Amino acid sequence: MTMEFMMPLIGAAMLGLPAILILWIGLPMLLQHPWSEQIVSRSVFLVVWLGLGLSCLAATIMIATGTTQSNVSLGSWYSIPSVELDFKLDLILDGLSLTFVIMSFVLCGTISAFATKYLHKELGFQRFFLLFAMFLTGIVMAALAGTIELLFVGWELVGLSSALLVAFFHERLGPVKNGLRVWAVYRVADAAFLAAAATMHHMVGHGDFAALMPGETWPNAVSVLTQEQAIWVGLLLLLAAMGKSALVPFSGWLPRAMEGPTPSSAIFYGALSVHLGAYLLLRISPILQQSTLVCLVIIGVGATTALFAAITARVQSDIKSALSFASLTQVGLIVIEIGLGWELVALIHIVGHACFRTLQLLRAPTLLHDYHTLENAVGGHLTHLSKHGISGSSGSAVLYRWGLERGYLDFALNRFFVNPVLGFFRRCHRVEQAWANWCRSGSRATSEGIPSTTTSAPVDLFEELP
Amino acid sequence: MDHQNSQDSNGDPLRRIRECIAHAAHLLPAQGPIAVFIHHNTLHAFESHSFTDAVVEGARTFGCEPYLSEIQYRAFVSSGRIKPEDLEAVMLDDLDETADDLLGFLGTRFHLRMAMLENPWHEVSTAELKWFLAESDSLRRFLNDESHNHNAMFIKTTRRWVMHELTNKTASGNPRRTAALESVARLAKRVDVNSVGAWPLQEWQTFSMQLLWNVCRAGVVEADSYLPVPNSERRHRDLLFAITQRDSDELVNELLIRFCAAFLDQGISRWPLPGRESGFLTSFLNLYSQERFGVEPWRKSLGAECRRLLERRCSASELIHDELIRLGVTAEAWPEYLSSSLLALRGWAGMIWHIENRGDRAVRPIPGGSLEEFVAVRLLLDRMALEWLAAEVLGFRQPLNALLPFLKKQVVDENKEDADQLAFQIFQIAQYRGWSPGELADVSEQNWQLLLTELRKFSAVERRRIFHLAYERRFRQQTLDAISIHSGNFGAPRQRTTQPRFQVICCIDEREESFRRHLEEIAPQCESFGVAGFFGVAMYYRGAADAHYTPLCPIVIVPQHYVLEHVSESHLGVGDRRRQTRKLIGMAVHRVHLLSRSLWGGLLTALIGAIATLPLVMRVLFPRLTARLRQLFGQFVQTPTVTQLCLERITEKPGFETGQVGYSVGEMTAIVERTLRDIGLTTGFSQLVVIVGHGSSSLNNPHESAHDCGACGGGRGGPNARAFAQMANDPRVRRALGQRGLLIPEATYFLGSYHNTCNDEITYYDTELLPLSHRELMNEAKTRLDSAREMDAHERCRRFESAPLGLSPRGALRHVEARAEDLAQVRPEYGHATNAICVVGRRQRTRGLYLDRRSFLASYDPTQDDDQASILTRILQAVVPVCGGINLEYYFSFVDPKGYGCATKLPHNITSLLGVMDGAASDLRTGLPWQMVEIHEPVRLQFVIETHPQIMQRIIELNPGIASLCKGDWVQLATLDPNSGDVHRYSRGEFIPHRLDQHVLPQAKSSADWYDGWREHLTFAQIGCGDSMGTHGASVKGTST
Repeated sequence: MTMEFMMPLIGAAMLGLPAILILWIGLPMLLQHPWSEQIVSRSVFLVVWLGLGLSCLAATIMIATGTTQSNVSLGSWYSIPSVELDFKLDLILDGLSLTFVIMSFVLCGTISAFATKYLHKELGFQRFFLLFAMFLTGIVMAALAGTIELLFVGWELVGLSSALLVAFFHERLGPVKNGLRVWAVYRVADAAFLAAAATMHHMVGHGDFAALMPGETWPNAVSVLTQEQAIWVGLLLLLAAMGKSALVPFSGWLPRAMEGPTPSSAIFYGALSVHLGAYLLLRISPILQQSTLVCLVIIGVGATTALFAAITARVQSDIKSALSFASLTQVGLIVIEIGLGWELVALIHIVGHACFRTLQLLRAPTLLHDYHTLENAVGGHLTHLSKHGISGSSGSAVLYRWGLERGYLDFALNRFFVNPVLGFFRRCHRVEQAWANWCRSGSRATSEGIPSTTTSAPVDLFEELP
Repeated sequence: MDHQNSQDSNGDPLRRIRECIAHAAHLLPAQGPIAVFIHHNTLHAFESHSFTDAVVEGARTFGCEPYLSEIQYRAFVSSGRIKPEDLEAVMLDDLDETADDLLGFLGTRFHLRMAMLENPWHEVSTAELKWFLAESDSLRRFLNDESHNHNAMFIKTTRRWVMHELTNKTASGNPRRTAALESVARLAKRVDVNSVGAWPLQEWQTFSMQLLWNVCRAGVVEADSYLPVPNSERRHRDLLFAITQRDSDELVNELLIRFCAAFLDQGISRWPLPGRESGFLTSFLNLYSQERFGVEPWRKSLGAECRRLLERRCSASELIHDELIRLGVTAEAWPEYLSSSLLALRGWAGMIWHIENRGDRAVRPIPGGSLEEFVAVRLLLDRMALEWLAAEVLGFRQPLNALLPFLKKQVVDENKEDADQLAFQIFQIAQYRGWSPGELADVSEQNWQLLLTELRKFSAVERRRIFHLAYERRFRQQTLDAISIHSGNFGAPRQRTTQPRFQVICCIDEREESFRRHLEEIAPQCESFGVAGFFGVAMYYRGAADAHYTPLCPIVIVPQHYVLEHVSESHLGVGDRRRQTRKLIGMAVHRVHLLSRSLWGGLLTALIGAIATLPLVMRVLFPRLTARLRQLFGQFVQTPTVTQLCLERITEKPGFETGQVGYSVGEMTAIVERTLRDIGLTTGFSQLVVIVGHGSSSLNNPHESAHDCGACGGGRGGPNARAFAQMANDPRVRRALGQRGLLIPEATYFLGSYHNTCNDEITYYDTELLPLSHRELMNEAKTRLDSAREMDAHERCRRFESAPLGLSPRGALRHVEARAEDLAQVRPEYGHATNAICVVGRRQRTRGLYLDRRSFLASYDPTQDDDQASILTRILQAVVPVCGGINLEYYFSFVDPKGYGCATKLPHNITSLLGVMDGAASDLRTGLPWQMVEIHEPVRLQFVIETHPQIMQRIIELNPGIASLCKGDWVQLATLDPNSGDVHRYSRGEFIPHRLDQHVLPQAKSSADWYDGWREHLTFAQIGCGDSMGTHGASVKGTST
């Protein structure tokens, strides 16, 4: 009884608190009176640790009552019963979502404490935490989502805030360009996601995970989709996950994302963002398991990514890129595990990897210090170079160049995807212009001679006079 | 014969290319690997120029800022940091005799220029100006609304002129008059002439402003002039970018940065670049020669080109020569073209140059000639990128050597003066000087031209220069006043403390100023001295727990001696065991780190990953506690604290082999004598002399080494202090010193120690060797030093915004301890920020003066120096370039944090273990990060040297190293008379008496009293320390000059 009453409350609070935080930080900024650093950091701190407390509470209650899955309905968004269309605001609290949420809160809490000091006196302090709050809302929403639509909203929030954080130093050209690149890749993933959601609705009339995978709790549930349906949905969602988790061939954006301040690199690309794709796959794993083909494709993508990233990571000579590709290697392995149907292993792997990598990325600037300490401990130069180094033979040079050029993935994307798309739209643009010109040619006389209002002309003395 | 000719024509250009590159290499940042950060003058390459010329030249070469922005200086004027009298004094000094030149109706040059400085002045980019004119009410109201009388007069004159012209239709003359009359005529057409006279003031104001604007514009359009901008040889890329906004460097840099990082990598990547030993060019060609498909469109031909070049086996300079010709760069333009090509990635180029030349300082050196090969590759890639981009965006498909003229034709108008800009300047000055539109319209052609010339002459850079000089003048006045008053207060120079309880010798570092001041306040019976923090002991040092020898001495010295630290005999067993354990742990940690980055690390991270949450959360949330815990556990593997220095050499020659390590007794004697004579500590020894070396340790800080001791070449000076103390304690050294007339009493004992300026911890060395008779005294000294370091932390904390102002000294110490261990802390300490003064003289002249951690303090006793001032000379030979270099590096990193400095630390990314990049692919960022310099005041270092002007003059003449810095005004120089408070300052090659602005200094009971509750810079004050308390107030009144 109490549980039925408590769970929706806890669920709503977990989701609502970060959302309120967005407004709390954002509105004063809109009104040109941002909060002081102290107020911002305290409110973030409060929200994150409250959220952590709530998610732990939920987990405790569930363990205490022996519940393995709890579906919380927060109402319906939009519903047309006649055509069986229903967009519900449902949350799923189960082992998967709570683990992910607790991990997110712990990492976000730590990172926010870190960023409070790290970004002290920085011009974009408030902006950082606004995006941070947006990210937090997104990740919590995506993790707890019980329907595909809600997951999509969270997914979008994560994407938007990540791209804006890559472009955090927007006074320089590089970060903005790279942020745009990240955003563009995310959009591709989003398009696939949306298509998958639409397909799902088309097939079963709703996007409710609990109804799609009824019966047992995750990961033992069985999907109601037919094998054929599962292929379509599965492949589309895989595409979405590939974009978000920087799997091959979308890996090019990962090092570019390191333009932001260190804490954002750590949290997004080391820990949470990059695992979100894997989380999506985990969430729908019963559907994926319907089809061996999809599983094989997933294993293939994961293996390619892991191999690619492992080679590339060995070649990188700056610490953040090296770590980001190391991250990707693990994400590839996690994807393989999901493809193999080892959901629990994958979940443990995600948690372990996220925590470990966050610590590593946060410590990245201390590399020189650590190196010095290590050298002193070992009593000589760190000698791994000679041991694992590859000789100068031509075969290895090819591999080396391939790693240095990051698998030419960016080029491949440009060549086979971006340029054709751009070309198509340019052609459309030209056609449209030709059309517009043709329409205008009749009335050319009137459109000419619009005076340009530059100051080079003498000022009209009479505009101000009676 | 023929053969000979072709040899000449072939050999000559190649040599010229090599010379050009070697020459341009001097412009590259001199910063070496970041782990050993050595401060130096950022514009070292321009030191032969004067400072004011060099900053402009540097700004042109590097595209940086010479001074702060005009807006910043104007803010200083309104906040009172720059006073009007400073501006006037500086302006008069600058214009000298031309100040009072009468320039027709413009008034004197002095007044014209002052009007431009004192009133609000807008000089912005063309686009911004357009916006400003369109959106602000500058064409409706006076820019300076406050001076009502002045403005009313202006309107009155305009009104009379307009009414006159409205009624009497006179003929138009010059274009200005025509424009004005046209405006008036239009007015007449539109409104009733009779009503005009009765307009309210507001409307007259609007009308006058617009009339003025029209007159100014007409006058400028009439002049239609071109700015005499030198048409420097620019790269294709610059022109192409100006025309199309597409950047060919962006394409090239992406590839080149990645390759440079791989080539220079000192150990981050697990796979080294294949064929790295064969040099930059060959390894590049080999690597890319097999690139056949899947490449970016702009470098489709790269693979083929690389194969071709490999077959040809041409040298770097041949390749450069070929490319220059293909690019159509004429031979006269080579130097400029090569240097700007080199500077396009100056961080990386500089690092290549550095590693190439100082291979001894790199773990993995690179072959000579790498810089040349870098240029060759750069030009090769540049050419491809240009070819592709020009074809892509401009449709340019002719041979590439026609590209430069083609581009130049398109940007021919770039030097044309912007009429609006100039018109707006006249518009502004006319309002401030009260020239009505009518007056300007009627002014003669000659006078109008004069006005334009004068305005152009006093350009934005010139105005900033004057502002900057005024900014420095304010500080200089305060400094020299303070020192003059303080040291003059006591009539004759005060005697040294008689019978001091103990003495402390610190580094001259300005961070030790507060430490010494607090110590002197806490222990009035203590004396302190300052000397370059390697204490004369230049050595390669290797600690018991260190892997390598580190040079501990100023960068200009190459040490001849090696010193080793050993674990003491009795602890050898423990030491060995612990070393083994450390090694095991270290190897394991290293393995884990490497593994975590590899494919098989998956299992590992999955297993232990979650455990990492504990250190993660702990270190971020409780840095100090975590550090304590780590220390606690660290104790079990640490080197035993009981160690010995292997300091004495048996063999003839020094070296690093067994037996060669260390110094001979003679050498030790020389070192001790020199240092003690330098600081004037030859008599009046106390029983305990504490030598304090310093350094700094912090986490997550790639620039950690920049906080270490500059005199130790970015190393930590503890071992030097320890070695010095050991030498000075040696009875044989004492005996030898006695023979040379330097008598150290037998009861005197030297104690080495180390001050960590980040967490304000002090470590003492060899305390167990101290005679038991001294133990009590040592404990007393330690207690005092402990209080002093607490207070030092307290004073530092006032600068940290994240430290609350009301901290207790104990709390402050805890705060700085946490800072040093905090991963998230980007400002572990402020380092040399705020440094501005360097006093070379007896401490008693400045003792009790609050110098706000802004002054280097080198001890020097002029009464003990010979006629040749040989002691002063050798002090200055080191102090002037070192302190000047530190100060100038801070100046430039502050003035242009993005250009000269390395901007904000937040996106920094350690690359190749050599430096930092912004994000994953940028130029290597050199200079200081903003977080280190943000509280700095960019003023040139003010030297105050206790000596006679004539002596100083002679030192300047005899020492070119000192002369270039002093004569070029890279540092400011002043002397303090050894017998009075008279101060002379160095100006234009001579010493002139300093005139005091003030005669009394503020007084405070203690330092803490003076700085408590204040975060900004503080003015100087006299601190009533110790025995001077009683006579303090009286003496101020009594001796005012």
